[in-house]
Amino acid sequence: MKKMIIGLFSIILVISLAGCGSSNNGSSADGKVSITISWWGDTARNKKYNEIADEFEKENPNIEVKRQFGSWNDYWDKLATQTAGGNAPDVISMHPNYAADYARRNTLLDLDQYIKSGDIDVSNFPKSVVNSGKISGKNYMIAQGVTTSGQVVNKSLFEKIGVDAPGDQWNWDHFVDKAIEVQKAIKAKGLKGTWAVDDQSIQYQPVFEYYLRSNGKQLYTEDGKLGFTQKDVENWFNMWETLRKAGAIPDAATVNEYANVSLEQSLFAKGKLAMHDIPGNQLYLYADQMKDSQLEMVRHPQGPSGDGEFVEGAYLSITKSSKHPKEAAKFINFFVNSEKALKIFKIEQGAPGSTKMNDYVKPQLEKGQQQSLDFIQKTLKYAGEAPYPPKGNTELTTEFTNAANSIAFGKSSVKAASAAFMKKAESIVNNQ
Amino acid sequence: MKSAWKRNWVGFFFLGPWLIGLIGFTTIPMLTSLYFSFTKYDMFTPPNWAGLANYIEIFHDPKFYSSVKVTAIYVLLSVPLQLIFALLVAVLLNRGIRAVRLYRAAYYVPSLFGGSVAVALLWRQVFDSEGLLNSVLGVFGISGHNWISTPSTSIYTLIILAIWQFGAPMVIFLAGLKQIPVDLYEAARIDGANKFQQFFKITLPMLTPIIFFNLIMEIIHAFQAFTPAYIVSGGTGGPLDSTLFYTLYLYQKGFTEFHMGYASALAWLLLVTIAIVTGLVFASSKKWVFYQE
Repeated sequence: MKKMIIGLFSIILVISLAGCGSSNNGSSADGKVSITISWWGDTARNKKYNEIADEFEKENPNIEVKRQFGSWNDYWDKLATQTAGGNAPDVISMHPNYAADYARRNTLLDLDQYIKSGDIDVSNFPKSVVNSGKISGKNYMIAQGVTTSGQVVNKSLFEKIGVDAPGDQWNWDHFVDKAIEVQKAIKAKGLKGTWAVDDQSIQYQPVFEYYLRSNGKQLYTEDGKLGFTQKDVENWFNMWETLRKAGAIPDAATVNEYANVSLEQSLFAKGKLAMHDIPGNQLYLYADQMKDSQLEMVRHPQGPSGDGEFVEGAYLSITKSSKHPKEAAKFINFFVNSEKALKIFKIEQGAPGSTKMNDYVKPQLEKGQQQSLDFIQKTLKYAGEAPYPPKGNTELTTEFTNAANSIAFGKSSVKAASAAFMKKAESIVNNQ
Repeated sequence: MKSAWKRNWVGFFFLGPWLIGLIGFTTIPMLTSLYFSFTKYDMFTPPNWAGLANYIEIFHDPKFYSSVKVTAIYVLLSVPLQLIFALLVAVLLNRGIRAVRLYRAAYYVPSLFGGSVAVALLWRQVFDSEGLLNSVLGVFGISGHNWISTPSTSIYTLIILAIWQFGAPMVIFLAGLKQIPVDLYEAARIDGANKFQQFFKITLPMLTPIIFFNLIMEIIHAFQAFTPAYIVSGGTGGPLDSTLFYTLYLYQKGFTEFHMGYASALAWLLLVTIAIVTGLVFASSKKWVFYQE
């Protein structure tokens, strides 16, 4: 009797352990295949992705699309853990800032075979857009939307204080002069808690990168080393220090307080800033929040070596661990090439990669979205290619923010903070 | 051995689920992290043996020292202050006032939310530049201050948050106070001892085992605090690393910078530190904890 019960117990044990190990391999008995997709975003964006996945399921009744999503920070935390655990989703949203970390660690699938086989059609994608998804010559990402950054200008505020708003053609000296001029006018009008521009000194990517490129430098070289020197970092921080001394950017505590707030709670959306750096595709989101103000996008200032623009955007990738890469490729193709998907997605994360889809969505856009698209299309003409960052880009970004903060809080001088940053940065880049 | 198993198999049977949990979710992950702490591991590619490299690197890492400093300040201030506060409230509630249950529940509520995301978000609202505290100060004509976003004050907002969640030790203190025999107080009153003397000569010594227990629990708790700093600083430990708790730094290293080996080494240092501190408190207890027997 006892032996029997012990035997039973061991059976239960074995079954429950086996239960732990059985992972979902994505196929069920009725021949239906299931793939998992994931993205970052807010409620409005989640709705769009869900609708697109529904449309895809309707068109492909034998494929089930499971969905995962989170806010920007949560998304990346979760993806890292999933990837390490070998259970990453099949189709993941990718961003250039993170792409190198994932691609260089060999976790993404080279999509070349699916492009050659025609499963993913990029024939309507401009070459620069296709190339922006390549890392070390391999196609790891397909663009959902491409965008460029610039300064959004609150024209109504400029009118109120009687200063001419900047145009597209200006350099960094003009930018500083303009910001100081605006701040003087704000002071003369007696506007409290209002600044000419936000503190962009912490923006390693993209604003510092724009600055470097317009000065003939790069953030990174092709072989993954630093493309700038300590002098460049000092010049950059000194420029912002000038603006800080003039009171044209918010104090450090205010900057930190607003560092992680949502778009609608940001200083710019509250009308407390005359200029602010954003990616072009977000212009209409601000326009929605600021119905009483007239907004306009202008290009980032240019430098002695010309334009800073490079292609940014949101992309889709397939993970190496995917058990159904062919179905995943089908989903990506549906997302970027079908009218059904683009009718829903429009310019949610930038201008569609395909020129054909660009023409398709254009007549369907509202005014704010139209402005976004116009800006992106205009500036893409200036856009060059930016080499992908090496592993450790996330760490470098943190270090850069630390340096900028210690200057902003007055804890260290520009020179000392820049030197400390360079030392750290070189050790991070060289240790990969 | 065989007979022992025969005698105890029912016990093991009932212990089974817990035992599986202990081995599967605690022991194995812990040993794995011990192994990782001696490797370079980025979570995507297999770990490479690195010997003591992570541990050596830690002691040359300025951010490690700043996180240790932040955590030390947090533990040294929040634990005693929270316990004193909890004891005071418990003594007040023990005086047989009316509606004591209501008060007890009301004071306990903040601890139920302890470490929750919602409370940390609420804290932001209270200490923001346009928050509740500054509005109240504004009534008295005091101009506001960015409590959370200024490096010199941000850690104290988190300490106040910890003190506010005094409910759990308070309930235990309350139970301890009820255990003290009433005749001790009677005898003291007859001898002419005032309330003050009664508190320091009877209540406090009789309560030392409970204080000891609460102290250990809260020290461990404080060392492991993570959520408040993560939420209040948006995961950065900022401004200027002023809320970079040790656990938060560990998390950043492991999950945002992909240095899982380094993060594992940090975790083991934390474990050892907590063990040493707890051991010291235990050793000292012989000198100040009195058991009635």
